[in-house]
Amino acid sequence: MTAPLRSAPRVANPVARLDIRDLACPLTWVRTSVALGRIRPGEVLEVLLREGEPLENIPRTAAEEGHLILRLERAPGEGEGVWRAWLARRAREEEGRWP
Amino acid sequence: MALSEAEIGRFARQVLLPGLGEEGQERLRAARVRVAGGGPGTAPALLYLAAAGVGTLWIDDPDAVAPGDGAGFMFDTSDVGRPRAVAAAEAVRAASGLVQADVPRPGAKPTAVLVSAPTQEVSRAVAEEARLLGLPHVVVEVDGQGGAVTVVPAGAPCYACAVRPGLGAEPTPAGAATVGALAALELVLLAAGVAEEPRGRRVEVFRGTPLTRATARQPGCACAAGAVPAT
Repeated sequence: MTAPLRSAPRVANPVARLDIRDLACPLTWVRTSVALGRIRPGEVLEVLLREGEPLENIPRTAAEEGHLILRLERAPGEGEGVWRAWLARRAREEEGRWP
Repeated sequence: MALSEAEIGRFARQVLLPGLGEEGQERLRAARVRVAGGGPGTAPALLYLAAAGVGTLWIDDPDAVAPGDGAGFMFDTSDVGRPRAVAAAEAVRAASGLVQADVPRPGAKPTAVLVSAPTQEVSRAVAEEARLLGLPHVVVEVDGQGGAVTVVPAGAPCYACAVRPGLGAEPTPAGAATVGALAALELVLLAAGVAEEPRGRRVEVFRGTPLTRATARQPGCACAAGAVPAT
């Protein structure tokens, strides 16, 4: 474990936890998106996900949607090939709208 | 109330659309839509409203299923002669277990109206009734291979201000599917509260090509006076 940079912002603990290890696309992102919608802007969601499609798509899509990836690390205690992502919900004004 | 796992799975793709999300889907579930008139666009519109997750559909249609209604997607030949609203409600419930579909009950208070009447004259009357109640409404007209969809959010220029004579062509199943689905989409946008300030517009579809224009109030139209608030 590395020490945080002096300039790094304080990272709040997750307020919710989501396990998508048993889900496949598109439900992996659907469940993540819904879970992010259930917390307040700036709050943190912890997501347990598997290597492969979820690990490739969830952090990328979350970033594309304006959420912050605070942490992405292996979670050996949760099983082989399992990762833990901490996602901070974007501000409301960054949410898209239908035309 | 948050969406259930079954609802999240059913509406997964839609929930991801920008501006909709779980809150918009919850608003759709809470919506009570009166679908008025037995026009050819009714059947496809009903199926798409149910597929989108509108929670309650009241089907207001006084006529019986006719042999030609088989092309309307939801009636079998064995339904001919049955009350069309009853047969349509059964078909909608069969398509989705997440929707309550029925004929209107006394005292039923819709939150929006989809007007799908066989003629523009009937559409005018039903749309005006919705406007006076302050209910957002969408009017669908099938005309040959296309037709028109008029969107009337509360306070917008009324249907009578927006309507134009069509070709008067015999409705085709493809035309009904095209504008019926489009009308359902427009109603979903209104019911889900996707647009912050929804505006009136009319989409006319001719041979697959849509022409969209914002509606404008006609000088002297009574709709300028606003609606009588729904009670």
